[in-house]
Amino acid sequence: MKTSILAAAFALTATFVLAHAKPATMTPEDGSTVTAPEVIAIHFDAPMRVTAFTLTGPDGDIAVTRTVGMEPVTQFDAAPGSPLLPADYTVEWRGMSQDGHPMQGSFAFAVAD
Amino acid sequence: MEGGTAIDGLTACAIIAKAIGSAAALLAMGGPLFVIAFRQAPATVLQMARQIAVAAAMIGIAVLAVRFGIRAARISGMGFAGAVDPMMLGFVWDSPLGTAAIWRMAGYLCVLGLMMPKRGGVAVSLIGAGLLAVSYTRVGHALSDPQMLLSALLVVHLLAVALWVAALLPLRRAASVPAGAALLHNFGVLASVTVPVLIIAGLGFAWIMAGSLWALFGTAYGLMLLAKVALVSILLMLAALNKWRLVPALARGLPEADKALRRAITLEVAIVGLILLATATLTSVTTPPIHL
Repeated sequence: MKTSILAAAFALTATFVLAHAKPATMTPEDGSTVTAPEVIAIHFDAPMRVTAFTLTGPDGDIAVTRTVGMEPVTQFDAAPGSPLLPADYTVEWRGMSQDGHPMQGSFAFAVAD
Repeated sequence: MEGGTAIDGLTACAIIAKAIGSAAALLAMGGPLFVIAFRQAPATVLQMARQIAVAAAMIGIAVLAVRFGIRAARISGMGFAGAVDPMMLGFVWDSPLGTAAIWRMAGYLCVLGLMMPKRGGVAVSLIGAGLLAVSYTRVGHALSDPQMLLSALLVVHLLAVALWVAALLPLRRAASVPAGAALLHNFGVLASVTVPVLIIAGLGFAWIMAGSLWALFGTAYGLMLLAKVALVSILLMLAALNKWRLVPALARGLPEADKALRRAITLEVAIVGLILLATATLTSVTTPPIHL
Protein backbone atom coordinates (compact mmCIF):
# COMPACT_ATOMS: atom_id res chain seq x y z
CA MET A 1 0.00 0.00 0.00
CA LYS A 2 2.78 2.40 1.02
CA THR A 3 4.53 1.54 -2.21
CA SER A 4 1.54 2.36 -4.37
CA ILE A 5 0.96 5.65 -2.54
CA LEU A 6 4.61 6.52 -3.04
CA ALA A 7 4.52 5.58 -6.71
CA ALA A 8 1.34 7.57 -7.26
CA ALA A 9 2.75 10.60 -5.43
CA PHE A 10 5.85 10.44 -7.55
CA ALA A 11 3.91 9.99 -10.76
CA LEU A 12 2.18 13.31 -10.14
CA THR A 13 5.52 15.10 -9.98
CA ALA A 14 6.92 13.47 -13.13
CA THR A 15 8.53 16.11 -15.29
CA PHE A 16 10.44 15.65 -18.49
CA VAL A 17 11.23 12.69 -20.62
CA LEU A 18 14.99 12.46 -20.67
CA ALA A 19 17.06 9.91 -22.47
CA HIS A 20 20.50 9.13 -23.72
CA ALA A 21 21.61 11.49 -26.45
CA LYS A 22 23.89 10.12 -29.10
CA PRO A 23 25.72 11.61 -32.05
CA ALA A 24 23.63 11.37 -35.18
CA THR A 25 26.15 12.79 -37.67
CA MET A 26 29.73 13.90 -37.58
CA THR A 27 31.52 16.31 -39.91
CA PRO A 28 33.85 15.22 -41.40
CA GLU A 29 32.39 11.72 -41.44
CA ASP A 30 34.19 8.98 -39.57
CA GLY A 31 36.81 7.38 -41.85
CA SER A 32 36.42 9.99 -44.58
CA THR A 33 39.14 11.79 -46.52
CA VAL A 34 38.42 15.48 -47.00
CA THR A 35 40.01 18.80 -47.89
CA ALA A 36 41.02 20.82 -44.81
CA PRO A 37 37.74 21.37 -42.90
CA GLU A 38 37.10 24.79 -41.40
CA VAL A 39 34.73 23.36 -38.83
CA ILE A 40 34.51 20.02 -37.07
CA ALA A 41 30.94 19.32 -36.06
CA ILE A 42 28.94 16.75 -34.15
CA HIS A 43 25.18 16.69 -34.37
CA PHE A 44 23.44 14.99 -31.45
CA ASP A 45 19.89 13.64 -31.54
CA ALA A 46 19.18 15.17 -28.11
CA PRO A 47 20.91 17.91 -26.10
CA MET A 48 24.41 16.95 -24.93
CA ARG A 49 26.71 18.88 -22.64
CA VAL A 50 30.07 18.43 -24.38
CA THR A 51 32.59 18.68 -21.54
CA ALA A 52 35.75 17.71 -23.40
CA PHE A 53 36.72 17.87 -27.06
CA THR A 54 40.17 16.96 -28.37
CA LEU A 55 41.45 17.10 -31.93
CA THR A 56 44.66 15.15 -32.36
CA GLY A 57 46.95 15.30 -35.39
CA PRO A 58 50.36 13.81 -36.22
CA ASP A 59 52.08 16.27 -33.87
CA GLY A 60 49.70 15.90 -30.95
CA ASP A 61 46.68 17.87 -29.75
CA ILE A 62 45.56 20.82 -31.86
CA ALA A 63 43.99 23.93 -30.33
CA VAL A 64 40.38 24.45 -31.35
CA THR A 65 37.85 27.22 -30.79
CA ARG A 66 34.46 26.02 -29.62
CA THR A 67 31.50 27.96 -30.93
CA VAL A 68 29.43 26.93 -27.90
CA GLY A 69 30.29 26.83 -24.23
CA MET A 70 29.49 23.98 -21.88
CA GLU A 71 25.71 24.29 -22.19
CA PRO A 72 23.77 21.29 -23.55
CA VAL A 73 23.48 21.53 -27.34
CA THR A 74 22.36 19.39 -30.26
CA GLN A 75 24.84 21.00 -32.65
CA PHE A 76 28.45 21.19 -31.50
CA ASP A 77 31.02 23.01 -33.65
CA ALA A 78 34.74 23.56 -33.15
CA ALA A 79 37.16 25.32 -35.50
CA PRO A 80 40.85 24.38 -35.67
CA GLY A 81 43.13 27.27 -34.66
CA SER A 82 45.05 26.96 -37.93
CA PRO A 83 44.31 25.22 -41.26
CA LEU A 84 44.76 21.45 -41.00
CA LEU A 85 47.65 20.11 -43.05
CA PRO A 86 47.34 16.83 -44.97
CA ALA A 87 47.48 14.05 -42.35
CA ASP A 88 45.30 11.72 -40.27
CA TYR A 89 43.28 13.30 -37.45
CA THR A 90 41.32 11.92 -34.52
CA VAL A 91 38.52 13.59 -32.59
CA GLU A 92 37.63 12.48 -29.07
CA TRP A 93 34.80 13.94 -27.07
CA ARG A 94 33.18 13.42 -23.71
CA GLY A 95 29.92 14.73 -22.43
CA MET A 96 26.87 14.18 -20.34
CA SER A 97 23.44 13.46 -21.74
CA GLN A 98 20.36 14.95 -20.12
CA ASP A 99 19.58 11.81 -18.14
CA GLY A 100 22.95 12.20 -16.40
CA HIS A 101 24.80 9.44 -18.25
CA PRO A 102 28.44 10.18 -19.07
CA MET A 103 28.89 9.73 -22.81
CA GLN A 104 31.98 9.60 -24.98
CA GLY A 105 32.94 8.98 -28.56
CA SER A 106 35.63 9.37 -31.13
CA PHE A 107 35.98 9.54 -34.90
CA ALA A 108 38.80 9.89 -37.35
CA PHE A 109 39.30 11.52 -40.72
CA ALA A 110 42.13 12.27 -43.11
CA VAL A 111 42.95 15.58 -44.77
CA ALA A 112 44.25 15.31 -48.34
CA ASP A 113 45.77 17.95 -50.60
CA MET B 1 28.37 -5.18 -30.15
CA GLU B 2 25.74 -2.50 -30.70
CA GLY B 3 24.97 -0.24 -27.75
CA GLY B 4 28.05 -1.01 -25.65
CA THR B 5 30.88 1.23 -24.54
CA ALA B 6 34.48 0.17 -23.92
CA ILE B 7 35.30 -0.18 -20.23
CA ASP B 8 38.37 1.87 -19.23
CA GLY B 9 39.86 2.26 -15.75
CA LEU B 10 37.51 5.05 -14.72
CA THR B 11 34.48 3.22 -16.03
CA ALA B 12 35.51 0.10 -14.09
CA CYS B 13 35.77 2.26 -10.93
CA ALA B 14 32.34 3.71 -11.73
CA ILE B 15 30.81 0.22 -12.08
CA ILE B 16 32.35 -1.06 -8.83
CA ALA B 17 31.31 2.09 -6.93
CA LYS B 18 27.80 1.78 -8.35
CA ALA B 19 27.56 -1.89 -7.29
CA ILE B 20 28.75 -1.07 -3.76
CA GLY B 21 26.35 1.89 -3.68
CA SER B 22 23.47 -0.35 -4.79
CA ALA B 23 24.31 -2.93 -2.11
CA ALA B 24 24.37 -0.17 0.51
CA ALA B 25 21.09 1.30 -0.72
CA LEU B 26 19.33 -2.09 -0.83
CA LEU B 27 20.52 -3.00 2.67
CA ALA B 28 19.54 0.43 4.00
CA MET B 29 16.12 0.20 2.29
CA GLY B 30 15.46 -3.38 3.26
CA GLY B 31 16.51 -3.13 6.92
CA PRO B 32 13.51 -1.04 8.01
CA LEU B 33 11.17 -3.25 5.91
CA PHE B 34 12.56 -6.37 7.60
CA VAL B 35 12.24 -4.87 11.09
CA ILE B 36 8.60 -3.92 10.44
CA ALA B 37 7.64 -7.14 8.64
CA PHE B 38 9.19 -9.45 11.28
CA ARG B 39 8.60 -7.62 14.56
CA GLN B 40 8.30 -10.99 16.35
CA ALA B 41 11.75 -12.17 15.20
CA PRO B 42 14.37 -13.11 17.83
CA ALA B 43 15.93 -9.95 19.33
CA THR B 44 19.46 -10.78 18.16
CA VAL B 45 18.23 -11.13 14.58
CA LEU B 46 16.37 -7.81 14.68
CA GLN B 47 19.40 -6.17 16.24
CA MET B 48 21.56 -7.48 13.41
CA ALA B 49 19.12 -6.19 10.75
CA ARG B 50 19.20 -2.72 12.35
CA GLN B 51 22.98 -2.67 12.61
CA ILE B 52 23.43 -3.71 8.97
CA ALA B 53 20.98 -1.06 7.75
CA VAL B 54 22.68 1.69 9.77
CA ALA B 55 26.17 0.66 8.61
CA ALA B 56 24.89 0.45 5.02
CA ALA B 57 23.42 3.96 5.26
CA MET B 58 26.77 5.34 6.43
CA ILE B 59 28.67 3.52 3.68
CA GLY B 60 26.04 4.63 1.16
CA ILE B 61 26.62 8.29 2.03
CA ALA B 62 30.38 7.88 1.52
CA VAL B 63 29.92 6.02 -1.78
CA LEU B 64 27.59 8.77 -3.00
CA ALA B 65 30.42 11.31 -2.62
CA VAL B 66 32.89 8.98 -4.35
CA ARG B 67 30.50 8.45 -7.27
CA PHE B 68 30.19 12.20 -7.76
CA GLY B 69 33.95 12.42 -8.13
CA ILE B 70 34.15 9.46 -10.51
CA ARG B 71 31.40 10.86 -12.73
CA ALA B 72 33.09 14.29 -12.82
CA ALA B 73 36.32 12.55 -13.82
CA ARG B 74 34.56 10.55 -16.56
CA ILE B 75 33.07 13.59 -18.27
CA SER B 76 36.16 15.76 -17.80
CA GLY B 77 38.49 13.84 -20.09
CA MET B 78 41.22 14.69 -17.55
CA GLY B 79 41.40 11.27 -15.90
CA PHE B 80 41.23 11.02 -12.12
CA ALA B 81 42.27 14.69 -11.79
CA GLY B 82 38.81 15.60 -13.06
CA ALA B 83 37.26 14.13 -9.91
CA VAL B 84 37.93 17.35 -8.00
CA ASP B 85 37.39 19.81 -10.86
CA PRO B 86 34.79 22.30 -9.53
CA MET B 87 33.22 22.92 -12.94
CA MET B 88 32.79 19.20 -13.71
CA LEU B 89 31.45 18.55 -10.20
CA GLY B 90 29.01 21.41 -10.82
CA PHE B 91 27.77 19.74 -14.01
CA VAL B 92 27.26 16.47 -12.16
CA TRP B 93 25.38 18.32 -9.41
CA ASP B 94 23.15 19.97 -12.04
CA SER B 95 22.45 16.61 -13.69
CA PRO B 96 19.83 14.07 -12.58
CA LEU B 97 22.55 12.43 -10.44
CA GLY B 98 22.51 15.58 -8.29
CA THR B 99 18.73 15.37 -7.91
CA ALA B 100 18.95 11.66 -7.09
CA ALA B 101 21.71 12.39 -4.57
CA ILE B 102 19.45 14.76 -2.61
CA TRP B 103 16.72 12.11 -2.37
CA ARG B 104 19.25 9.42 -1.54
CA MET B 105 21.03 11.46 1.13
CA ALA B 106 17.67 12.25 2.77
CA GLY B 107 16.81 8.56 2.59
CA TYR B 108 20.06 7.44 4.22
CA LEU B 109 19.72 10.01 7.01
CA CYS B 110 16.17 8.81 7.73
CA VAL B 111 17.35 5.18 7.80
CA LEU B 112 19.75 6.20 10.58
CA GLY B 113 16.53 6.63 12.59
CA LEU B 114 16.86 2.89 13.30
CA MET B 115 19.44 3.90 15.91
CA MET B 116 16.72 5.66 17.89
CA PRO B 117 15.39 3.51 20.74
CA LYS B 118 11.73 4.47 20.26
CA ARG B 119 9.29 3.08 17.68
CA GLY B 120 9.23 6.47 15.98
CA GLY B 121 12.72 5.74 14.74
CA VAL B 122 11.48 2.76 12.74
CA ALA B 123 8.76 4.91 11.16
CA VAL B 124 11.35 7.50 10.15
CA SER B 125 13.55 4.75 8.70
CA LEU B 126 10.59 3.47 6.65
CA ILE B 127 10.24 6.93 5.13
CA GLY B 128 13.96 6.67 4.39
CA ALA B 129 13.41 3.39 2.54
CA GLY B 130 10.78 5.10 0.39
CA LEU B 131 13.04 8.08 -0.33
CA LEU B 132 15.88 5.75 -1.34
CA ALA B 133 13.62 3.83 -3.74
CA VAL B 134 12.34 7.06 -5.30
CA SER B 135 15.92 8.35 -5.68
CA TYR B 136 16.51 5.65 -8.28
CA THR B 137 13.65 6.96 -10.38
CA ARG B 138 15.28 10.40 -10.54
CA VAL B 139 18.30 9.28 -12.57
CA GLY B 140 19.18 6.97 -15.41
CA HIS B 141 16.99 4.70 -17.48
CA ALA B 142 13.84 5.30 -15.41
CA LEU B 143 13.75 8.83 -16.87
CA SER B 144 12.86 7.36 -20.26
CA ASP B 145 9.33 7.30 -21.60
CA PRO B 146 6.81 6.11 -20.24
CA GLN B 147 8.36 7.69 -17.17
CA MET B 148 5.51 7.22 -14.70
CA LEU B 149 5.12 3.51 -15.44
CA LEU B 150 8.88 2.89 -15.39
CA SER B 151 9.24 4.73 -12.09
CA ALA B 152 6.42 2.79 -10.45
CA LEU B 153 7.85 -0.53 -11.68
CA LEU B 154 11.31 0.42 -10.42
CA VAL B 155 10.10 1.47 -6.94
CA VAL B 156 8.16 -1.77 -6.49
CA HIS B 157 11.08 -3.84 -7.85
CA LEU B 158 13.64 -2.14 -5.60
CA LEU B 159 11.60 -2.38 -2.38
CA ALA B 160 10.92 -6.07 -2.96
CA VAL B 161 14.57 -6.76 -3.83
CA ALA B 162 15.70 -4.73 -0.81
CA LEU B 163 13.60 -6.77 1.60
CA TRP B 164 15.16 -9.96 0.25
CA VAL B 165 18.76 -8.73 0.18
CA ALA B 166 18.59 -7.11 3.62
CA ALA B 167 17.05 -10.28 5.07
CA LEU B 168 19.85 -12.63 3.99
CA LEU B 169 22.38 -12.10 6.79
CA PRO B 170 19.75 -11.81 9.56
CA LEU B 171 18.17 -15.05 8.29
CA ARG B 172 21.58 -16.69 8.29
CA ARG B 173 21.86 -15.69 11.95
CA ALA B 174 18.33 -16.99 12.56
CA ALA B 175 19.40 -20.44 11.35
CA SER B 176 21.47 -20.84 14.50
CA VAL B 177 19.18 -19.39 17.18
CA PRO B 178 16.21 -21.03 18.89
CA ALA B 179 12.90 -19.94 17.31
CA GLY B 180 14.82 -19.07 14.17
CA ALA B 181 13.02 -21.73 12.13
CA ALA B 182 9.69 -19.94 12.61
CA LEU B 183 11.19 -16.71 11.28
CA LEU B 184 12.70 -18.51 8.29
CA HIS B 185 9.33 -20.11 7.57
CA ASN B 186 7.53 -16.76 7.82
CA PHE B 187 10.06 -15.14 5.52
CA GLY B 188 9.44 -17.90 2.97
CA VAL B 189 5.69 -17.21 3.13
CA LEU B 190 6.19 -13.46 2.59
CA ALA B 191 8.79 -14.06 -0.14
CA SER B 192 6.32 -16.24 -2.05
CA VAL B 193 4.46 -12.96 -2.64
CA THR B 194 7.28 -10.40 -2.87
CA VAL B 195 9.58 -12.44 -5.13
CA PRO B 196 7.00 -12.88 -7.93
CA VAL B 197 6.23 -9.16 -7.57
CA LEU B 198 9.90 -8.19 -7.97
CA ILE B 199 10.27 -10.49 -10.97
CA ILE B 200 7.18 -9.15 -12.72
CA ALA B 201 8.15 -5.50 -12.03
CA GLY B 202 11.75 -6.11 -13.15
CA LEU B 203 10.73 -7.92 -16.32
CA GLY B 204 8.17 -5.21 -17.09
CA PHE B 205 10.87 -2.55 -16.82
CA ALA B 206 13.30 -4.59 -18.93
CA TRP B 207 10.62 -5.32 -21.53
CA ILE B 208 9.99 -1.60 -22.04
CA MET B 209 13.75 -0.89 -22.19
CA ALA B 210 14.46 -3.72 -24.63
CA GLY B 211 11.51 -3.03 -26.90
CA SER B 212 11.60 -6.45 -28.49
CA LEU B 213 12.71 -10.03 -27.88
CA TRP B 214 15.21 -9.76 -30.71
CA ALA B 215 16.95 -6.84 -28.96
CA LEU B 216 17.89 -9.19 -26.10
CA PHE B 217 20.24 -11.13 -28.35
CA GLY B 218 21.49 -8.42 -30.67
CA THR B 219 22.58 -5.71 -28.23
CA ALA B 220 25.02 -5.28 -25.36
CA TYR B 221 22.12 -4.25 -23.09
CA GLY B 222 20.20 -7.38 -23.99
CA LEU B 223 23.12 -9.71 -23.33
CA MET B 224 23.93 -8.11 -19.95
CA LEU B 225 20.25 -8.35 -19.08
CA LEU B 226 20.23 -12.06 -19.99
CA ALA B 227 23.34 -12.55 -17.79
CA LYS B 228 21.50 -10.88 -14.92
CA VAL B 229 18.39 -13.00 -15.47
CA ALA B 230 20.55 -16.17 -15.51
CA LEU B 231 22.10 -15.22 -12.15
CA VAL B 232 18.66 -14.40 -10.72
CA SER B 233 17.44 -17.83 -11.88
CA ILE B 234 20.22 -19.53 -9.91
CA LEU B 235 19.32 -17.40 -6.90
CA LEU B 236 15.66 -18.42 -7.22
CA MET B 237 16.59 -22.10 -7.34
CA LEU B 238 18.64 -21.69 -4.16
CA ALA B 239 15.78 -19.80 -2.51
CA ALA B 240 13.39 -22.59 -3.49
CA LEU B 241 15.78 -25.19 -2.08
CA ASN B 242 15.87 -23.24 1.19
CA LYS B 243 12.11 -22.82 1.38
CA TRP B 244 11.08 -26.37 0.54
CA ARG B 245 13.98 -28.46 1.83
CA LEU B 246 16.37 -26.78 4.21
CA VAL B 247 13.96 -24.66 6.30
CA PRO B 248 11.57 -27.60 6.90
CA ALA B 249 14.62 -29.73 7.81
CA LEU B 250 15.68 -27.08 10.32
CA ALA B 251 12.14 -26.93 11.75
CA ARG B 252 12.20 -30.71 12.23
CA GLY B 253 15.55 -30.39 14.02
CA LEU B 254 17.43 -32.60 11.57
CA PRO B 255 21.17 -32.76 12.22
CA GLU B 256 23.38 -30.48 10.12
CA ALA B 257 20.28 -28.66 8.79
CA ASP B 258 21.43 -25.34 10.25
CA LYS B 259 24.87 -25.64 8.67
CA ALA B 260 23.43 -26.51 5.26
CA LEU B 261 21.04 -23.57 5.45
CA ARG B 262 23.78 -21.13 6.48
CA ARG B 263 25.93 -22.35 3.59
CA ALA B 264 23.08 -21.92 1.13
CA ILE B 265 22.39 -18.37 2.37
CA THR B 266 26.11 -17.50 2.11
CA LEU B 267 25.98 -18.64 -1.50
CA GLU B 268 22.88 -16.48 -2.02
CA VAL B 269 24.83 -13.47 -0.71
CA ALA B 270 27.64 -14.16 -3.21
CA ILE B 271 25.18 -14.45 -6.11
CA VAL B 272 23.47 -11.21 -5.06
CA GLY B 273 26.93 -9.57 -5.25
CA LEU B 274 27.34 -10.81 -8.84
CA ILE B 275 23.82 -9.63 -9.76
CA LEU B 276 24.63 -6.15 -8.44
CA LEU B 277 27.81 -6.09 -10.51
CA ALA B 278 25.89 -7.20 -13.61
CA THR B 279 23.22 -4.56 -12.94
CA ALA B 280 25.83 -1.82 -12.45
CA THR B 281 27.46 -2.79 -15.75
CA LEU B 282 24.07 -2.96 -17.47
CA THR B 283 23.14 0.55 -16.37
CA SER B 284 26.60 2.10 -16.86
CA VAL B 285 27.98 1.07 -20.22
CA THR B 286 25.10 -0.23 -22.29
CA THR B 287 22.37 1.70 -24.03
CA PRO B 288 18.83 0.33 -23.79
CA PRO B 289 17.71 -0.80 -27.27
CA ILE B 290 14.77 1.66 -27.23
CA HIS B 291 17.38 4.44 -27.37
CA LEU B 292 19.46 2.91 -30.18
